[in-house]
Formats: sequence, structure tokens, C-alpha cells
Amino acid sequence: MNTKSRRLAIAGIVTFSLLAVACGEDEGAEPADTTAAATDAPATTEEMAPETTEAGMELAGGEVFISGSSTVEPISVLVGELADELSGGELAVSVEGPGTGDGFKLFCAGESDISDASRKIKDSEAETCAAAGIEYVELEIAIDGLTVATSPNNDAVTCLDYAAIYALVGPESEGFGKWSDANEIAAALGSAYADLPDADLVITGPGPESGTYDSFVELVLGDSAEARGTEETTRSDYTQSPNDNIIVEGIEGSDTSFGWVGYAFYAAESDKMKAIEIDGGDGCVAPTEETIADGSYPISRSLYIYVSKQAMADNPAVVSFVELYLSDDGLAQVSEAGYVSLPADRIEATRAAWAAGKA
Amino acid sequence: MTVTASVRESSAKAVGAAITRGKRDIAGFVFALLLLACLLTALLMLTVLLWDVVAAALPVFEKRSTGFLTNELASSPDKAGVSQGIWGSLMIAAFVVLLAFPIGISAGVYLEEYARPTRLTRFIQLNIRNLAGVPSVVYGILGLIVFVKGFENLTGGRSVIAAGVTLAILVLPIIIITTAESVSAVPQGLREAGFGVGATRWETTRDHVLPYAAPGILTGTMLAVARALGEAAPLLLIGAITGRLAAPPGQTLVEKMQGKFTAMPIVIYGWSNEVNKPGKRTGLTFEDLTSAAIVVLLGMVLLLNVAAILLRNRFEKKREY
Repeated sequence: MNTKSRRLAIAGIVTFSLLAVACGEDEGAEPADTTAAATDAPATTEEMAPETTEAGMELAGGEVFISGSSTVEPISVLVGELADELSGGELAVSVEGPGTGDGFKLFCAGESDISDASRKIKDSEAETCAAAGIEYVELEIAIDGLTVATSPNNDAVTCLDYAAIYALVGPESEGFGKWSDANEIAAALGSAYADLPDADLVITGPGPESGTYDSFVELVLGDSAEARGTEETTRSDYTQSPNDNIIVEGIEGSDTSFGWVGYAFYAAESDKMKAIEIDGGDGCVAPTEETIADGSYPISRSLYIYVSKQAMADNPAVVSFVELYLSDDGLAQVSEAGYVSLPADRIEATRAAWAAGKA
Repeated sequence: MTVTASVRESSAKAVGAAITRGKRDIAGFVFALLLLACLLTALLMLTVLLWDVVAAALPVFEKRSTGFLTNELASSPDKAGVSQGIWGSLMIAAFVVLLAFPIGISAGVYLEEYARPTRLTRFIQLNIRNLAGVPSVVYGILGLIVFVKGFENLTGGRSVIAAGVTLAILVLPIIIITTAESVSAVPQGLREAGFGVGATRWETTRDHVLPYAAPGILTGTMLAVARALGEAAPLLLIGAITGRLAAPPGQTLVEKMQGKFTAMPIVIYGWSNEVNKPGKRTGLTFEDLTSAAIVVLLGMVLLLNVAAILLRNRFEKKREY
């Protein structure tokens, strides 16, 4: 008994010291790493930012808490890091991304100062906020394209229109196991793409808790659902995940897959996925930063931040942070995070909305 | 006359042969093989999992070295690190040790040594067993209602204090059960010997029962801490941070503990949901960082287990009767 547990203990210690040795060896590499970073650093935008901003902006110290969309989270985190750099840590910004809906729940309970959102606030959520006496300013900050994707091995499908997508994932497609099952509905809706292949249809996508799901239903399925007199929703029998990387894996995992994710997730792994071009009436357009920015790629949505007026009044740090967010340096983080920047006129509109909301 | 090992062995064989009338015990052989296969399957799964995670994590430790352990949550896989997660998890472990250990062990000892075996005692024991099986999300809801909302003045709301207390309560039933089991396994003769020389119940418990039961209690408590370190669901409800965590400079420890927090399982959860765009400098993605964070968490649990085994050996060496 005693020797046995001693042996166990020794095994544990050996494993652990192996780990320690593995880590210890790497420490030698660290100095080289840091010098490389030091020489590289001035070239990156994050390091350049202070010089251009410091002149014009005085940042108030304090804490800001942002919750909401996991899609917008990376932008807010980047602006938060910028605020940290510029204020020497005085402007402390914490960010989390449980989802747009969960974010609004916290926001309307007065628990967060700013809510990230990958869609506009719903009427029901606005009512909750109003009932709690939370007023807010809505600010559009970026554009995100929704990418409908399949496997690179799926040669039979390169372009689809809304009607064909509705036929594949709309509420009437419940139970369809093959792409070709959707041909009949697509043809009935007058789709030009009602010649879908006789191949297994493997769908992975976000679930109803996600802003990406809401946007997809509204932008892509809405019109067809109205034309068919059905509910504006998707079929329920596909693999749903709140984790975008699991959706990406699902799309990569089958040769005849179908799914949709935010453009940033597609852009990060565009070699392993094939974006299906979308025919919104003006021919097939593939999602790229250019086509999303100029609006020729039809499925794109706006990303927003909602700022609580109560928090603005109580906490000067919130005002400071939003001002940094809407500055040129702040909005530069949008493309840094992999999203598409707003065109100049919409940036002006956002800044005007902020100026009006602040007053 | 001494019976040597070889004699014992051969006589066992002889008896076995007499019973089976010289036939080989095929069923027994197959059964043993089956058991071995099950063990190997379990080990294989574990090896594959470990290999998968460690292989993906190695580049992170190579390229980021200790920076990965000392940095904070960040937007880029070049900069992001687990220090805040480690701090949060250690704080939670501290709460479990400080709150759940004394309460749990005392409750277990009371149930076995002091409480009369009435119907009520049995009912309580049954309920504690059930509590140990309650899904952790339920404890998360409890923590949200009681410690985040109810005692907001003390905990500071969505803080590491609320998380630590919630997880301490989560593992309390486990500690009570393992303590009660270890105490009830103490030979009755030991207690009677104590009483026989005039020791009170407290003296007997303190000097004989507890030292004898210590190794078992220790194993249970360490399992409890390991469980608390690995829980993610209650922390999500309590509101651990996933994206960026910052506090103004000059906070006291209490202020820091009442502020926003994160923990290792939440760091892992958050990173698994990030865009897998390779970092400019190191080429690492958040997927790699997720694996590395898992290795760090495994390391923390392993360290705890090693500590528990060493402590148990010390106690067992002392137990010479």
C-alpha cells in the first residue's frame, strides 16, 4: 500500500518536472523574442496610435464595463487596449461577449455601461430598457458580411440566390437530406438556381440565441418566407452551435456542407472553406472586404454599440471611452479586428448621433 | 513449520485443478482479457486527448515562453496570456480551502461520530448524497441569486468572492461524504480502546479517529479542489469575463477581489470562440492558445494531486497501527 502510493507520487513528480523542464528550456528563447518584438513593434498600428491621438484627447480615468455580442467583442477589446495604452492604465475597460441578447439583458438591468450588438435592439428589449429607465445612444460602428459557405471540394455549387437558400434552410426544408430536395421549392420561388446537386446536405450554423442567426433570417430568408406565407425562421434540424469555430469545423468537415458565419471567421480560414457567391438580383458576388464595404455583396449587417445615458452621466470614463472609440484611431480597430469599416458618410452619421446623444 | 510462497502457489493450483477437474478456466481467462481491454480503452482515450492537447500547446510555450503565463487577456494571440485566469482560479481554490474544508470536514465528522443514527440523520445523509449529484449550473443559479444579487454589498456583485463561495458550496457535499466515509472506515476497536482508557469522545476523535481517517479525507478534499478548478458553468452564470479584464491602478486586494474576474475554464471557453486569425509576430492562433491554457489548467490540477499524494503518504507513514 505504502510503496504503491509512493510510486504514484514519484510518477506525478516526474511528470511535473518534465513539464517544468520543457518550460524552462524555452526561457532561454525569451530575450531573443522580446528584442524581435521591440524592433518590429513601431511598424504595427497599435504602437503608432499614441503619437497621433495623444495631442487631441484627454482620457478620464475610471472603469468601463462592456458586454454583449461576441462578434463585436474583438473590436471593443482592441479599443480597450488602446485606451489602456493612452491613459497609462487609468481608463480600465473590461469586455465580455456572451451574445447580443444576453448583453442587452445586462444592459437593461443597468449592469453594463456599453452593450455590443450585432443587430439593432429588438422592440421587446427596448421595452425592458424603458421600463428600467435605461436610456441609450445607438452608434453604428462597423459592417460585417455574412458568409454562406461550403467545402472547397463542393464544385457543384458556386452561387445561390435568396430563394435557393430559403429552399435549403427555410422552415419548409425540414427533413431535406439532399441538396436536390430543395429544387422544387426553389423553382416555385422562381430561383435561377433550382438545379441543386444530388448530394448529401450537411448544415451547420448558429442557433437562435445568436445575432448572426437573426441577421441571416432577416436578410436572407425574410422575403421568401413572406412570399411562401411561412414563419420567418430556419428549419430546426441542423447542427446549431453558439461557437463560430465549431460552425467553421462543420463546414470544413464535409464535402457537401452548407453553413453561414460572420465574414471574419471565413476570412481567417478562407483556404479551408469556399464562400458561396450570392446573387441578390445583380449577378453573383463573392464576399470580400471591397464588395461588403461598397454594398455590392448583399448579405451584410451593421455592428453597433449601445451606450447607457445613465453611465455617461455618472462616469466620465464612459464618455472618454466612446470618444476614443469614434476617433479615427478607434475606428481603425474595426479593420484590425477583421471587419469592414463604415463608409465616410456613415461615420459622420455615427459621430453626429453621438454628439446629439451627449448633449 | 512455515508455508513458503511457492508451496502456497502450488497448493492453490492443485486446489484449482481439483475443482475444475484439470480443465482450463476459459471463462475466467476471457473475463480477465475483457477487463484488460476496458482499462486499455480508457487509457487510450486519455492518451489521445492528452497528446492532442499537448502537441497543439507546445508551439505556444516555445514561442511565447513565460509571457503566456504572465500576460493578461488580449486581442491578439501574440500578447494574450493566462495570468488573470490563474489568479482567479487560485482565488477560487483558496475559498474552497478556507470555507469548504473546515465546514465540510466538521460536518462529516459530526454525522459519523456525534449524530445519533436516527431517521432524521439518515434523511440528511441521503440528501447530502443527492446534493453531490446536482448539476453545477444549478449551483451557478444559486450563486447568482444569493451571492451576486443578495449579498452584493459583501461580494461586490459579479466578483471572484461570489464565484469562490459558490464553488465552495458546490464541493461541500463531496467533502462531507468523503469525510464521513473515511471516518466510518476507522475500526471500532480504536474508539473503544480510547474510551477504555478514559478518553472523552472529543479526545478520541482528535487523537485517534481523525489521524486514522486523514488520508481518506485528504484525498476527498483534493478531488474537491480539482473539481472546483475545472468548473466553468457556474462561473458563466456568475459572470466571469471572457474578452478583456482591466482594473484601475492602485486597487487594494479587497477591491480587486470585489471587482470583475476570470478563471482558467472561462479563459479556455472564451478563446475557443475567437477568430482563428494567426498573430502577426508568432503565427499562433487562439486555437493554439486554447490548448496551452488547457495544459496550464491540467498542470494546476496535477500539482494539487501530487501535493495530496505526498501529504497522504506522510499521514500514512505516521499511522503505524
